[in-house]
Amino acid sequence: MVRHLLIGGQACVLYGAAEFSRDCDLIILADDTNLQNLNAALADLRADCIAVPEFKAEYLHRGHAVHFRCQHPDVAGLRIDIMSKLRGCDPFEQLWQRRTTIEDSENNAIYEVVAIEDLVCAKKTQRDKDWPMIRRLVEAHYDLNQDAPNEAMVLFWLRESRTSSMLAELVHRFPDSVAGVDFERPWLKSLDVTNLGQIEQLLRAEEDAQRQADRGYWQPLKEELERLRMNRPRPT
Amino acid sequence: MNDQQRITRLQEARLDSDSWKEWYRLTPLERMRESMKLWRFYLEAGGSLDPEPDSQSPFDAVMPHGTPPAYRRSGLRVVRRSGV
Repeated sequence: MVRHLLIGGQACVLYGAAEFSRDCDLIILADDTNLQNLNAALADLRADCIAVPEFKAEYLHRGHAVHFRCQHPDVAGLRIDIMSKLRGCDPFEQLWQRRTTIEDSENNAIYEVVAIEDLVCAKKTQRDKDWPMIRRLVEAHYDLNQDAPNEAMVLFWLRESRTSSMLAELVHRFPDSVAGVDFERPWLKSLDVTNLGQIEQLLRAEEDAQRQADRGYWQPLKEELERLRMNRPRPT
Repeated sequence: MNDQQRITRLQEARLDSDSWKEWYRLTPLERMRESMKLWRFYLEAGGSLDPEPDSQSPFDAVMPHGTPPAYRRSGLRVVRRSGV
């Protein structure tokens, strides 16, 4: 048993966004026992590491992803990307405590999925494609729960919605909850809910700041990847 | 405009297409199964599981981009192009 959580495209689909992903992204607990179990599972899948860095705990601990491609006939060609930490997100143990477990009795499978609030956090990257995904994730969650929300849900929507009209609707419906996200979105308390253009601008500024932070986070890791790539042994 | 009308108008603006509403209202497993159908079709049509070039991805420089996309398979050729 490998302690892991599904992140990335498949997790987005389960929560209501739509992403066609060509790989399977997992976050794992990078302790000795779990890494041994993962190694055995990867051997069963006949998975080869296809890029730098190589599969070592030290790289996972530093925030790198390790990339595999499976050769087992049942999953031939499938790529698996493995990480053990995500920028801005809590450590694995906390992600595990908050996880969603989905049982697929038809296929006799269990999916352990990172919680939606953690998936949203992980999607705040420098990539264009991740931001519409966050919008859809929060919209889908609101669509499902808007008729009987609890306070945690309302705070999640107020903190993470990236849809101007939805945000205006939320401030209008739940004015007493706005103070609960004052740290993350101090501008909400003085929001003009009739001015969607202004809300768009505020959301854009928030996105730009997160993209910049993500580029800063990855810069030293990219430099290390480049060094590893240049120094890796060439096939003879 | 009263409060209820304002909320209704905002909701209409937000849910901008019926297809999204339908997708949201599937169960997680129904969405997963729909996604798997697309995945199977993609593979049957010769789609590659290689990563797409993505200049914004931190991993782009180290990932293999070897296999050409499906529309460049030897059995397929472009018989007409648009002007752009």
